[in-house]
Amino acid sequence: MSSLFGTMSVALQSLLVQQGALQVTANNIANANTPGYSREVPILEESPPILSGNTMVGTGVTLKSVQSVRDNILDLRIDQETSQQSSLNSYVASMNQVQALFNETQGTGLQTYLSNFFNSFQSLATDPTNSSLRQGVIVAGQDLAGAFSQTSQNLATLQQGLDQSVTQTVHQVNQLTAQVANLNQQIQEVSNAGDNPGSLEDQRDEALNNLSGLIDTAVVYSNNGSVSVTTTNGTLLVSGNQSDALTTQVNSATGMHDVYGQGTDVTSSIAGGQLQGLISARDDSIPSTQSSIDNLAAGLISAANQQQKDGYGLNGAKGVDFFTPFTPSASGSNAGAATTMAVALTSPDQVAASSNGTPGDNGNATALANLQNEPIVSGQTAGDYYSNLIDQVGNDVSNATSEQEAVGLVLQQLTNQQKSISGVSLDEEATNLITYQQAYEAAARVISTVDELVGATLNMFTPS
Amino acid sequence: MGMRVNPDMYSVILNGLQTNAQQEDQALQQVASGQKLNSLSDDPAAAASLVNLRMQSSSDTQYLQNISSLTGSLNVADSALSSVVEALTTAQSVGVEGTNPTLNASNRQALAQQIQGIQQAIIGLANTSYNGEYLFSGTAATTQPYVADSTSTSGVTYKGNDSANSVEISQGQAMPISLPGSQLFSNATTNVFQSLQDLSNALTTNGNINGATTEVQNALSYVSTQQTFYGNSVDRLKNAQTFLTQEQTQLTETEGNTLDADMATAVTNLSQTETTQQALAQVGGQISKLNMFDYLPTP
Repeated sequence: MSSLFGTMSVALQSLLVQQGALQVTANNIANANTPGYSREVPILEESPPILSGNTMVGTGVTLKSVQSVRDNILDLRIDQETSQQSSLNSYVASMNQVQALFNETQGTGLQTYLSNFFNSFQSLATDPTNSSLRQGVIVAGQDLAGAFSQTSQNLATLQQGLDQSVTQTVHQVNQLTAQVANLNQQIQEVSNAGDNPGSLEDQRDEALNNLSGLIDTAVVYSNNGSVSVTTTNGTLLVSGNQSDALTTQVNSATGMHDVYGQGTDVTSSIAGGQLQGLISARDDSIPSTQSSIDNLAAGLISAANQQQKDGYGLNGAKGVDFFTPFTPSASGSNAGAATTMAVALTSPDQVAASSNGTPGDNGNATALANLQNEPIVSGQTAGDYYSNLIDQVGNDVSNATSEQEAVGLVLQQLTNQQKSISGVSLDEEATNLITYQQAYEAAARVISTVDELVGATLNMFTPS
Repeated sequence: MGMRVNPDMYSVILNGLQTNAQQEDQALQQVASGQKLNSLSDDPAAAASLVNLRMQSSSDTQYLQNISSLTGSLNVADSALSSVVEALTTAQSVGVEGTNPTLNASNRQALAQQIQGIQQAIIGLANTSYNGEYLFSGTAATTQPYVADSTSTSGVTYKGNDSANSVEISQGQAMPISLPGSQLFSNATTNVFQSLQDLSNALTTNGNINGATTEVQNALSYVSTQQTFYGNSVDRLKNAQTFLTQEQTQLTETEGNTLDADMATAVTNLSQTETTQQALAQVGGQISKLNMFDYLPTP
């Protein structure tokens, strides 16, 4: 047989459970706009029934736990795509600055200077003893050299800026991995105490997502609730409550910071995140552009100097170097050719327009002008070589931009999916609110009813 | 129970708005600049071809400048030679007049002096300069080609050289821009100055005036023949100019096709993005009004 007091206790229990459920609802509503928050649901469970006489009687409800609703696999996919997107974002942002240096569509770039240089010789050919035309050749040469030098220095400045960003990003990676390790520990402690680590997990998910924006990550969830994080190439970042900081070290050959993980140079194996985008622009695209500019400068310097030496100046003297000669390194690299490019001639009379020593002869001026159509850089004319460079730089950006758009769409889709699972719906919470409120009111009504019954029972014995 | 959807409708709207804003930015940039290419990545191949187009166009502009400055010097040279031919024609008629048997020695002396005057005039013409440079001294542009020389049988000495400069008037097409005086005024059998000197001498000494006049006549026809070089050259320049101007028009057109935005399309795109934005914003406004809490009884 059950007792009135037993009923009272079931109703009281119900009051407490509905209160707990209302608190979960309130928490969901409060965090409706909190980034990274996953909605929570109260897990209600029937209390074990007791044997009352020959009958099993229910003993009410218990709040078993509060669970965060999330899909870990989806989270990992989102982290992967975030990694890709951040990598492309930082690459495109960097390379947009590079392509601005060569923006031929806006009339900035080297084409005008190349044309003016060759045209100045063509012009001189019509009147080879004319001193203002000779001066014009010198000025066009100086402008050309200045443009190459400036472009090359701008590239170097961009590269140095990216290098700084690399070290800053590594610093941010370390902060986040330390945070993840710290959260791992807290989550274990809370779990061991039998509590819900949901909000800590939310924080960790947010940290992991931010981390994947900086570097490619592979996350493994272990049974004790902690996660271990490595790069996709296996460099350890977080294991349990320990994080392994990345370090940077200047590479003496490039002057740029290499990234080290556990004592190994991992610079080129970083496969995602802002760090990859920065490194890709810093170590591949910009050096490749720089080297093309250097090759072009070296080709022009060598061809102009050689042709100058085939001719004679206005004073009949044998031609001398037009530009300060450039000597490639032992390995054949033209590095530095553009930065140091400068006109070596000190007087307009030295322009070797004459091919035979007669001051009025223009044979060599024409030959110098015709260098425009000679294969002077890697078997190509200066114009064609430069045009290919433009194509290359434009493609670097446009390919990355297309990829960026594609990844962006995937990421939108995944985020949408994630929110459809974990996002707080106010409609849903309002409904829960009513449901729990009504259950609470009903339980309260049970208590007052039992109270009346108890009162009635007691009144039975009131002496009249 | 139905499928749960993303309760944050705004994020969906926001994505839409962002994508739309990007398209709007692109369309606006096209309308503002009038260019469909605003950075290399908009169309790398087109940007690369732009470089080649402009290199070629710039060369053409230079060739056209060359042509215009050459036309000036060729015209000056041509008209100087016309004057030479005219002077020689006068000399020839003086020679014919000198053969008249009624003339006495002093008459002939006067004619001889007239020939000497013509000789001087032609020397002056042969020393014509343009922009400070002698036109008939070969490539020795700063050297006066003809100087009077009493030790020479022709009365002059040629100080120039036998070379001529060539200038490119379009890609790969070079054209000689002058003839040296040594070729213009003399060859193995004829010499303008010698013929005038001979005529002058014949008149003074009453020698072979007839023969000397024929000599002048030969010189006259020789110079006339040489002069055609200049007329032909000017024609050649005109042809090249026509060709280059046409090519430039074509290059400009191609450059325009490569670079210029189709304004109608750009403006349509722009207004389309505006419409889309309005639609999205309107939907966004609707969403905010729908919330279950609005239907809860107020306590």
